[in-house]
This record gives sequence, C-alpha cells and structure tokens, in this order.
Amino acid sequence: MTTPIIARFAVRTLGRNVRRTLLSVVGIGIGVAIAVFMTAFMRGSTQMRVRAIAESGFGHVKVVPADWDRSRDNDLRLTDWEVELAAVRATDGVKTAAPHARSTALLGFGTRVVGVEMLGVDPDAEIETSRLARAVVEGRYLEDGDRDVAVVGRTITDRLEVELDDDLLLTVVSKGGEMEYAMLRIVGIIKTGSRDMDASICHVMLEDVERLTGREGAGEISVTLDDPLRMDAAVSRLRAVVSPEDDVLTWMVVVPAQGGDYQSDKGFMNILAGTVLVVVILGIAGAQLTAVLERRREFAVLIALGMKASQVVRLILLEAVAMAVMGAAVGLLLAWFPLHQTATKGIDFSTMMGGDLAMSGVLFDPIMYSVPGLWVLPYALTVAFVSTLIAAVYPAVFALRTDPTSALSLREA
Amino acid sequence: MRGLDLEIHKGDFLAIVGPSGSGKTTLLNLIGALDTVTGGKVEVFGQDLSGMSRRERAELRLRSLGFVFQAYNLVPVLTALENVEFVLELRGEDGGRGATAMSVLEDLGLGELADRRPNEMSGGQQQRVAVARAVAAKPRLVLADEPTANLDSENGELLLKMMRQLRDEHDMTFVFSTHDPLVVSYASRVVTLRDGKIVSDIRKGSGSEAPGDATEAN
Repeated sequence: MTTPIIARFAVRTLGRNVRRTLLSVVGIGIGVAIAVFMTAFMRGSTQMRVRAIAESGFGHVKVVPADWDRSRDNDLRLTDWEVELAAVRATDGVKTAAPHARSTALLGFGTRVVGVEMLGVDPDAEIETSRLARAVVEGRYLEDGDRDVAVVGRTITDRLEVELDDDLLLTVVSKGGEMEYAMLRIVGIIKTGSRDMDASICHVMLEDVERLTGREGAGEISVTLDDPLRMDAAVSRLRAVVSPEDDVLTWMVVVPAQGGDYQSDKGFMNILAGTVLVVVILGIAGAQLTAVLERRREFAVLIALGMKASQVVRLILLEAVAMAVMGAAVGLLLAWFPLHQTATKGIDFSTMMGGDLAMSGVLFDPIMYSVPGLWVLPYALTVAFVSTLIAAVYPAVFALRTDPTSALSLREA
Repeated sequence: MRGLDLEIHKGDFLAIVGPSGSGKTTLLNLIGALDTVTGGKVEVFGQDLSGMSRRERAELRLRSLGFVFQAYNLVPVLTALENVEFVLELRGEDGGRGATAMSVLEDLGLGELADRRPNEMSGGQQQRVAVARAVAAKPRLVLADEPTANLDSENGELLLKMMRQLRDEHDMTFVFSTHDPLVVSYASRVVTLRDGKIVSDIRKGSGSEAPGDATEAN
C-alpha cells in the first residue's frame, strides 16, 4: 500500500523551512519534556507521601468506630476488634494490619512533665507496619509479654532528662474519670530525625492501655495495602467484613492536612504543566499560522483545484501530527537525563526542610525520586499530539478562509 | 462584468482577450466557480452556480473543471507524477491512481519528468505538467489564465499544441484569458472584452458571431 500523496505533502512541507520546523519541534519537545518530568516526579512524590503516611502509623486505610471521623475521639473503641482484625487480615489486597489504642497521658520524671499521646500496640504487627517502630536507636522495641514498659521519642528523653531503663510516672484519666498512675520503664528510644515527632512518641503494649484506661480493646486498625492505587476497591472489600458500627477511612480522610496538601500539590503541578503547554501551544500556533500565511497562494490553488474544506484541514493536521511525532521524540530525549538522575539518585529535600522531615504526624523520606516507566512513551505522544493538534486548529481555519480567486491572478491571496 | 452575455460551446478553444482590467480574470473566476455573481446568472453545464454551496462549487471544480495558472502553481514538494496523482486522490479515486497519472504524463510526452520536482524543471516543463494535472481527471472544461505569459514562444507553442491535441482527442473545451497573440492564433474563437463588456466575439473560419450551448454567462 502506497502512502497517500496528502501525507507525503504534509511531511515534506516540514522540510520547506527547516529552521522554523526545528524551532517548533524543539518547542514541542521542551513542553513534552517538562510534562513528562513533572508527571514522573509527581508520581514519585505521591508514592513517597502515601508510603510515608502509611508507615507513620496511619496506614493506607484505617478501621475506626463509625463516630470517630466526626468526633476524632481517641477514647472510642471498635465493636469487636479481634474478630475484625482477623477478618481484615484475611481480606484480599491487605498487606499488614496493626491494632492501636490511643490515649492522652502525662509522663513525668522528677519535677519534669511532658504531655504525650500514648499509643497501645501489638509489637509484631507494629514492626511490620510502622517505620517508627523500626527507628529505635537505643534499647529495643516492645515485645510480646512486655508489661509496664515504654518506647519513647528522643525529644521526650531529652526534655525529661532520662535515659534507657529509667522509670517514668505515667498519668492517665480512666474511663470512670479517675486519675490512674503507673510506672513505665523505658526499654527503647526512637529517633526519627524530627524533634517534633520524637516529642510525641510513646508506644506501650495494647494491654497496658486497656488496663490503665479501663477501655477494653483497640480503637483503630491501621491497614497497609498491597496496591495503594486500588485503595477505593480495598475500602469496599473491608467495609464488607467489618462491623456495621465501624467504618473504613482512607488516609486522605484520616490525615486531612496531608490529603489537602496532596490535592494542592497535584493542582499546582497540573497548573504549572498546563501553563507550559499553553505557552508551547501558542508558540506552535504562531509558527503554523506564519507557515499558512506564507502558503496562501498554494491553498488558493488547492481550493481552486477542488480541494474540500475537510481535505485542507486534514493536510494541516497531518503536518501537525508529523511535527508532534518529532516533538515527542525530542521531548523524551530532553527528559531522559533529568528522569534518569532523579529516578536513580533522587532529590534530597532534607536541607530545604531544615532537618525536620515530619509534617502533620507523618515522617517523610528526605529523598524524593521520580518514577518513570514505559508509560512515558504513550504519555509523551499524547501530550505532543494534543498540544500540536490544538495549535493547528486556528491556522487550519485561517487556511480555509483563503480566497480561491487569488489563484488565478498574481494578486496576494 | 456589465451586461455580458456569452455562451461557450463544447469543443471551443476560446481566447478571452482585452486590456488589463477589462474583466478577463473575473470572467474566468465566475466560470470556474471560484467567485459568485452579485447580479445575473452563470450556468455551467446547465447548473446555476449562484444557487450552489461552497462545497458544491468545490465538487464541480473537482469533477468537471480543470485549471491552468499563469504561475504554474505546482505543489513544490511533490514530484510531477505526485502533482498529477494528487488531483486524482482529491477526487477520492483509489487503486491505480499512480498508473493513471503516469499514463497522462506519458500521453503528453512528459514521462521522463515524472520524478522531478518543480524546481528541477524549466518553466515550460512545469506548465506542461500543470496542464497534465488539469486534464488528468478528464474534465469537460479547462480554464487557463495567461498560460503562456511566462513562457518563450517555442514553449508556448508546444503547450498550445498539446492543449489543442487534448481538445481534439478528448472532446474537452478550453477557455483562455490571454494577452498573447500566439494563443489568439491557436484559438478557434476569440472574445474581446473591454470595461467588462464583450466588444467582439469572433469564431475563426466562419467569421460569424458564435452561438453556443455549453456554458453561459449573463
């Protein structure tokens, strides 16, 4: 099968003004490269954010009492947490599930006192789920069978001027409204890299929280998933297995500050990419319009010969498509180096974040990586095609308006 | 055009002459469905052009009319063969377009130019390829605007002989706007315009005013 003449016409037209074509192709390429890089980096940023949130104790999703989202009351407890925990762990797509019981408490040593959110945990499940449990720098993490022991953050030990094996006085308000006291031995110290975060970490055994507060059971189950991108499907499956009086919430609901940041980051990146593409589209439209203006007599002749409006548009769009293919290739070439660098070495944000890698109780990774993949090929082509075709619309309309009578004279078209 | 009344016959080899500004090109534009009248009527093959949409006029040009331009106006990025084949492609013809185009070029003695682009051909060669393009789809009427204006007399004569041969062999009608005495000498009929009016209409050989039935401009 031979190539239609109109296609040969379109492709060869690009060679008539090589400099203009090259500039247009480079313009498309820059737009494509920026869009590809930003999208790959946004993907990496999103994956890192979701992983950080999940591993900071929030999970990808969380099973909580139905009223929890409205009241955010940590004294609420799940209906039948052990049954629900077993059901959650048996649910398709669940990677880990860790029960928690939270309570506000005071830790004292001598005349020094700090306020903390005491977190009752199942040690084995917590080590699987939480990066905080894996950040013990002195001593050890909690173990099955432990009682009246705690693992606390480095900032707490600094403020209370205590060290490993010291006994802290814990004060909590019980279910009946009475003050309860206990001595907790420090068996481990956690250092996350964030002083703020380390100031609030106090992990104890779940059973200790039950005993001291008089509230039985767990108040939440933090769940990590095999595929966080399929979170909505997982939520549906989990809702089917938990008690009707409990609910399953995604991290965006559980940590609304991070959900908002995620949405605004995504929106900002989209606006930035959109702005770049608009500039590129305007540039290409200008170049194509100039090309059409230079070829008005040619269009007049073609229309005089009987070329229909649809065929004129097809010719200009084919020229745009040929340019888009070259632009996509140039874009991928331009994007390759920054993508390779950021995918393998990443960008270290620790200096920019002033050494504090925690926000809204989430411990972030200091280095952010881009996540390129085979998706960049269709993505680059799509960006190039869409921007170039949009840019070709006005020049095509302009060409259609060419007066064919100018073909029969030497007057300007 | 003012009070112009002209009928063009099938097989005419008609030259429209007159000074610059007399309306030759305007008349050609009207007959060629490139322009529309503000008053009066133009009929081509019995169809009133004033009632036609832009698309219908394009269809008429594509199916029934051929154009030859003063400045050749071949598509510069296409070869001679592709220029001819392109018109067939615009008509929606499928298989065998290349062979048809090649046969047209060879019939006109232009086979050796098939792979050349316009910038690789002389003016005379380009204009003959332009004629091949105009007649490839076997139009009933060919309109030629000053076709010999940019050619020397030898090439001009070659071109006119080719066109007259096409008229004789394929029963085509040719209408020229021209200043060139050579074209007038080849014409079977000469219409002279001045200030948008016909001042004479001579059919050679008969010396009489020419009646007709193919195309009519009022």
